[in-house]
Amino acid sequence: MICYLGVDIGSVSSNFVLVDQRGKVREKIYLRTQGNPVKAIREGYMKIKEGIEGKIDIRGVGTTGSGRHLASILLGADIVKNEITAHAVAASYLYPDVRTIIEIGGQDSKIIIMENGIVTDFAMNTVCAAGTGSFLDQQAARLNIPIEDFGRKAVASSQPVRIAGRCGVFAESDMIHKQQMGYPVEDILMGLCEALVRNYMNNVAKGKRIAEPVVFQGGVAANIGLRKAFEKFLGCRVIVPEHYNVMGAIGAAILAKEYVEGYGRRSLFKGDDFILTGDFVSQSFTCNGCANLCEVVCIKRDDTPLAYWGDRCLRWESSLGRGSRENLKVV
Amino acid sequence: MKKVGIPQGLFYYYYYPLWEAFFRFLGLVVVRSSPTNKKIVDDGVTLAVDEACFPIKVYYGHVNELKGKGVDYIFLPRLVSIEPKSYICPKFMGLPDMIRAGIKDLPEVIDITVDLSRGDKGWQKELARLGKILNVNYRQIKKAYNYALEEYFSYRMIARQGYTRDEAIKVWQGEEISLPLDTPLHIGVLGHGYSLYDDFISMSVIKKLRGMGVKVYLSEHLPTEGIEKEASTLPKRVFWTLGRKMVGSALYMDKSPDIDGIIYVACFGCGPDSLIGEVIERKVKKPFMLLTLDEHTGEGGIITRLEAFCDMLARRKKRDEGYLPCYG
Ligand code: SF4
Ligand code: SF4
Repeated sequence: MICYLGVDIGSVSSNFVLVDQRGKVREKIYLRTQGNPVKAIREGYMKIKEGIEGKIDIRGVGTTGSGRHLASILLGADIVKNEITAHAVAASYLYPDVRTIIEIGGQDSKIIIMENGIVTDFAMNTVCAAGTGSFLDQQAARLNIPIEDFGRKAVASSQPVRIAGRCGVFAESDMIHKQQMGYPVEDILMGLCEALVRNYMNNVAKGKRIAEPVVFQGGVAANIGLRKAFEKFLGCRVIVPEHYNVMGAIGAAILAKEYVEGYGRRSLFKGDDFILTGDFVSQSFTCNGCANLCEVVCIKRDDTPLAYWGDRCLRWESSLGRGSRENLKVV
Repeated sequence: MKKVGIPQGLFYYYYYPLWEAFFRFLGLVVVRSSPTNKKIVDDGVTLAVDEACFPIKVYYGHVNELKGKGVDYIFLPRLVSIEPKSYICPKFMGLPDMIRAGIKDLPEVIDITVDLSRGDKGWQKELARLGKILNVNYRQIKKAYNYALEEYFSYRMIARQGYTRDEAIKVWQGEEISLPLDTPLHIGVLGHGYSLYDDFISMSVIKKLRGMGVKVYLSEHLPTEGIEKEASTLPKRVFWTLGRKMVGSALYMDKSPDIDGIIYVACFGCGPDSLIGEVIERKVKKPFMLLTLDEHTGEGGIITRLEAFCDMLARRKKRDEGYLPCYG
């Protein structure tokens, strides 16, 4: 089967998809990165291949997420794209007339405004945890509710409790307070969903005009309570795509497919031998070249350095003797 | 020969050629602090008062580095106003005193006050005072100042050609730097010179954009009259020099057909920045992005935003020019 690999490496999760020649998702893998992206990339690659019967022929690779460059070095990517573009491409591929994309992941959240399939505005929050999935995880743990049950329980609420959602710390103490006052747990859960939505609308989506159709994606979109809270706040329907938690990877795969097909290129994909047999390590050291004392990260395969990051003057990167970041050019 | 130290921060990017030429004319040797590095930042953050904005904290670090370089004087001008009826951020007013209080055992500080808000008079007095500090007669000072002004204007001409201010300083000093080539995507970048042109503070925003294949337009590349004319369309006069220039530049860029989008680089904790950033955001019709920097900004987040912004402009452009949608 001819297919294209899309990879989204974030700090919390690592996602992989294979799309076929018609752009259909044939297989997807969702893993925890667990602080070891190198391991996650190899594991994800092995698993996704296992999921498909018969021989697969990877004709293009796209990477995204904060670990997109690392993934590109390990796998050999044809296109390396930021998360905003990747998410936008995936959503508009599935819903060509999408106008608003709400994306909430474990560590960050974003809003993307689209018109005729083109991004016209975006914003992202990487600082405040109160607007992300980790906030819900924490509160669920506090209430002893498995995160999987969170949404289902929350929608049973008839009278959500108002919880201060400005910041994670306040929200937590406010929630404990409400809990002690004896509010039913489902009302507290729905209250948390509404607090997160308010936080998102005030911080991330601040000043943006939200138009329909609205697509809600990212790991947190599984939470039906949250979807309901968005619908209530926005007063319109909110669509959660089937592959809501791997949309970044889908976008990367689609981008790779368009790129390889559009330019008639041969893929830079490295293949099993390179990816599965070598010993990859990522090491960091402090460069003493000057007063900047950069924390430089080096990726090695069997002692051969493949890439360097973090060197402000590019002294280490350029020692490899080629523009290893060439594929970052936008135009 | 006596040595005078000039910190490589704040108004360095605007006036270094003026200051350097002035002191050189009078026979002094000018010593600069290093370009901002991690140590300078760390020292600055430790030494400065908590309320200070990031560029001012960094400035403390530069002064501290100069202290160890065996200079006879340290030049810390007190900038109040550089043109009639307009002012510089009030944080500059007490800066020399704050620094004296924060960093012990400094060499003699040259803290002349630059206040041109009510014309030239007070300025002549300050020049005379400077003469006393340096032990030079007033005529010599005047001569040096006129010479320095000429050098300053030639530096301004260099900056106008398409360089950043830090590049223009190097070119003015005789270094050869080729101008970036024209590329299909044009972005106007605005911000305070002392954050924008300081590679450490701005995380090399301009270089990163150029690396992505973008031609960067700066305030310095636009005609002054054009900027002022646009700024004067605001209902209320902005009597804060840099802010007015930025709003004027943004409006000018908004109108010029060869600029595709505008990025405003703001400093976290800077009151004027958040104000001006908002005014610009409301006024500008082209794609606009506000990029806020602070000590804790992750570089990854900045790169993602820049790339996404460029992608957005590039894909719009392709669509408007009638190409098929192409995801590259
Ligand atoms: S990598 Fe470059 S900038 Fe960083 S410490 Fe080494 S020499 Fe200095
Ligand atoms: S304008 Fe902002 S960045 Fe500049 S000195 Fe004032 S507060 Fe600091």
